[in-house]
Amino acid sequence: MDYYKKIFNKLDFILIGAVMLILVMSLFILNSATAHLSSSNLIKQIMWICFSIVVVLIILRFDYTMFTKYSKYLYVLNILLLCSVFIFGSEIKGAQSWIKTPVGSIQPSEFSKILLILSFAHYLVLKQGQLKTFLDLLPSFIFVGIPLLLILKQPDLGTALVVIAIMVGMLFVAGANRKLLIGIFGGGSLAAVGYVLGHWKFGWWIPLKTYQLNRILVVFDPNIDPKGAGWNVWQSKIAIGSGGLLGKGLGGGTQSMGQFLPEQWTDFIFAVLAEELGFIGAGLLLLAFFVLLNRGLRIAALSKDLYGSLVATGIISMYLFHVLENIGMALGIMPVTGIPLPFVSYGGSSMLTNMIGLGLLLNIYVRRQKIIF
Amino acid sequence: MVSLSMKKRITFIFIVSALLLGLLVVRVAWIQFVRGDELQAKAIDSRLRNIDIKAKRGIIYDRNGSPLAISVSAESVYAVPSQVRRSQRVDEIAEALAQVLELDQEEIKNKLNKKVAFEWIKRRVPDEKIQELKKLNLPGINFVEENQRYYPKGTLAAHILGFAGIDNQGLSGIELAYDKELRGISGKIMIEYDAAGREIPNAMHHYIPPTDGHSLYLTIDETIQYIVEREIDQVMKVKQAKRAAILVMDVKTGEILALANRPVFDPNNYADYDQGTWRNFAISDAYEPGSTFKPVVAAAAMEEKMVKPDDRFYDPGYIKVGKETIKCWTRNPHGSQSFVEGIQNSCNPVFVTVGLRLGLDNMYKYISGFGFGAKTGIDLPGEATGILVPRNRAKEIDLATMSIGQANAVTPIQLVRAISAIANAGWLMKPQIVKEIRDSENNLIKKIEPEPVRQVISQKTSQDLRAILETVVSEGTGSKAYIEGYKVAGKTGTAQKILPGGGYSTSEYIASFIGFAPADNPRIAALVIVDSPQGVYYGGQVAGPVFRNVILDTLRYLEIPPELPAKEETKEKKLVVPDVKNKAVNDAVKELKKLGLEVRIEGEGEIIVTQLPPAGTEVNQGSTVVLYTQNAEDQQVIVPDLKGRTIKEASKILADLGLGMAPQGSGLAALQEPIPGEKVEKGTVVKVKFISPNAEPYEETIGP
Repeated sequence: MDYYKKIFNKLDFILIGAVMLILVMSLFILNSATAHLSSSNLIKQIMWICFSIVVVLIILRFDYTMFTKYSKYLYVLNILLLCSVFIFGSEIKGAQSWIKTPVGSIQPSEFSKILLILSFAHYLVLKQGQLKTFLDLLPSFIFVGIPLLLILKQPDLGTALVVIAIMVGMLFVAGANRKLLIGIFGGGSLAAVGYVLGHWKFGWWIPLKTYQLNRILVVFDPNIDPKGAGWNVWQSKIAIGSGGLLGKGLGGGTQSMGQFLPEQWTDFIFAVLAEELGFIGAGLLLLAFFVLLNRGLRIAALSKDLYGSLVATGIISMYLFHVLENIGMALGIMPVTGIPLPFVSYGGSSMLTNMIGLGLLLNIYVRRQKIIF
Repeated sequence: MVSLSMKKRITFIFIVSALLLGLLVVRVAWIQFVRGDELQAKAIDSRLRNIDIKAKRGIIYDRNGSPLAISVSAESVYAVPSQVRRSQRVDEIAEALAQVLELDQEEIKNKLNKKVAFEWIKRRVPDEKIQELKKLNLPGINFVEENQRYYPKGTLAAHILGFAGIDNQGLSGIELAYDKELRGISGKIMIEYDAAGREIPNAMHHYIPPTDGHSLYLTIDETIQYIVEREIDQVMKVKQAKRAAILVMDVKTGEILALANRPVFDPNNYADYDQGTWRNFAISDAYEPGSTFKPVVAAAAMEEKMVKPDDRFYDPGYIKVGKETIKCWTRNPHGSQSFVEGIQNSCNPVFVTVGLRLGLDNMYKYISGFGFGAKTGIDLPGEATGILVPRNRAKEIDLATMSIGQANAVTPIQLVRAISAIANAGWLMKPQIVKEIRDSENNLIKKIEPEPVRQVISQKTSQDLRAILETVVSEGTGSKAYIEGYKVAGKTGTAQKILPGGGYSTSEYIASFIGFAPADNPRIAALVIVDSPQGVYYGGQVAGPVFRNVILDTLRYLEIPPELPAKEETKEKKLVVPDVKNKAVNDAVKELKKLGLEVRIEGEGEIIVTQLPPAGTEVNQGSTVVLYTQNAEDQQVIVPDLKGRTIKEASKILADLGLGMAPQGSGLAALQEPIPGEKVEKGTVVKVKFISPNAEPYEETIGP
């Protein structure tokens, strides 16, 4: 306990405040979004939060630099975890991403992100100053590529994209050749978009199933697939648009209460929030995320070592991409890939992962100066 | 510590992420504020099931407040299929419904399995069946009160009223024309549903009561309509006609008092009748009116002073127009006659002559003036404009044929309106069918006033023509419409039907009669049209008696007092024409006027050479005696009109004038050559054709 008293004053309360604000909004919104389900869901979520807080406290107990000693193991653990879904996993909605356990389904690809951040950060520390040429970067790509391919195999396109975002963010901060990075990933993104459009307009061959393709194409044509992805996005836009400035009030979201919104407690939770709390609520949430990102990057900058900076950058990249993708999807400007909104969407794996991220950020922050014990 | 370059890179990441978050905020604002209203409406749309509660349709009354169309309520059965399915008793419920409502079980099952929120099972179900179903208390099966249109008088005024469909929407007639007023404003039960069609407990359940429709008071008089319906049924039965129409109009206001067509339908079961019976051909179909159009030509010519009532015409039985020959309808030519007699006889050559005098410009001026070739603007759907020969293509022969009611096609409503204008001091009125609109609490919403369109002819022309048309009934072809005690003006018409491929039918006719009464102070006008009567087909014979009965009963119903003493009394006043031969003109005129006779003098001499009718003839008071004068030294003689004289009388008159006679045939004089009024040398032989009276029916037809 003494230990916690010592670090208490060094904690980043603005960061914690932002996360708490997000959590509070989340619980209220989940309360309406899961109103039609059994009430135990909300309690389950609260229990996950409590458990996560305990995990955060445990993480704070150790110096984060300790993870550098176990990088290899973490990387191997990551691979094993991702492989395990092919053995123990069960298929939900066309993706083999879940493992059923007595405490609920667990999604290993969520934790995979943290494991990757920790191991990849150490890998980059070792490669410091040697990220100038494409050949320099190639081993890094392979390092990330192996778990990435396993995630794609599930298939979980959303998480795979998050992993790429994490990799780019960390490579960038690690000092990789800027032009090379922009060339590879900027060009890659454009090529991917062009390829999809090429398939759409000219029928180029593409290794995607129709429903997967539609989830991407809905960005370009909201009327596509009116019973599937198109319907989801359309309903989401209706929910958000009908919220107006002040929203319809908690529990007053007619679109969500009527269950017109699919996956409204996970993927489309933002639509429920925007409908019930309006522009004010949505703006407040985005402001909280802004603070989270701001504080997170500040921690990256203040870190006592490169490892801490890279871990913080990886976590912030993860948050940022989740937020952009999830909210962008609800607003119809990003493809429909079912990734959760950090701290807001219902789900234990996601909550725990994001809280571990928060724990790591706080850990790095607390230890920005040597603590004298 | 981290390097400066790395801090820069972190700052860069921060800027990029801040921009991206800002982009999301802008996008949220765009969706919520710019597209908010549109999406809000979509949100309400997708979750509200509006169940319309139809307003009670307004009542249609006749002009005296007798209801012609009312709304009665009946309950309808509907299902909420998702509720039915949730009970897991679909088969059982379908069976029960099929049994009670006498419907096909499979069909009901299909309805119950539909993925919809609302499905009608059966509309307007008799009450005992509703009670039976309510007892069964079937889950997901509900009842709603709906109004049904009921026409208590059955077929009466069916073509005016039209009918309303199952959803209370006006589909024809007044029901369609005034649908907006009658319909009212639907109420709504708004029930909030979720995406799966389940009613949300404690959700919005909003009831907006319907506003009942307005009531209409028509210009139709139920009693007159009854009279018309009775007569039209009678003529259809007796004459086995294809179609018939009768219109009665108030000449002063243009109000339609009655309008009936045959064949007819019952608006209560309109769907059981052939769609052809729904047609209100009194306003929707154009036909060639034939001789009933002649009053319009007469009005035009009189107004333009192209003809005076006593102008003389001569009918040799035909008239040549360019290369074409237009025959008169009778095999016995009318010979010499005044314009008035020409109308009485419905003489074609007279009207062709008058029409040619009038010229195309004037003819078209009055045809349009009387409202032909344009809609009358009556408030009923489906009005036709009629078809006129285009002015720029009209030739002399067209002018000739339109003068006798051919070439142009008009609608019955146009024609009855035109005759009303002639009767109404020349004022053309807009035909009116609705008098008042009142709300469901009988407060006046709108009163529709009679609407004069224009004055087509002068008061004077109207007055003169009324008197002439009255003689058509009292003395001419319209005698079957004669009513004791009333002065009735009218005109017959017998038109050959136009064959579908063009040309005229030789076996099918349209018999018609148009007119108004009382002639001196007209109140009502009527048009009777009988299409393809069997047997006798002359307008005077077929439509004349129908017109008479309609007018007589209507005049009595309207308590319009008879204006003439019975005709018998006037018949008593017979005079014997005195002999004025060899008397001085002045003396002769004085003597005849004293007796109450009219005088016309032919020639410029001072001594009466001969007279017509000859001395000793019994005539009515007011008859005209023609006096022929001659100067002794004058070698020229005016040929007298010998029409109707016996051979003996004719030869005596001609001898008195110093003329010879070459008689042909026997009976009464009909045709002569030279024609009356011509100046000839003394000693000229006049050819006179005599034909036996009563040899041919005294009715007209239009010859091809």
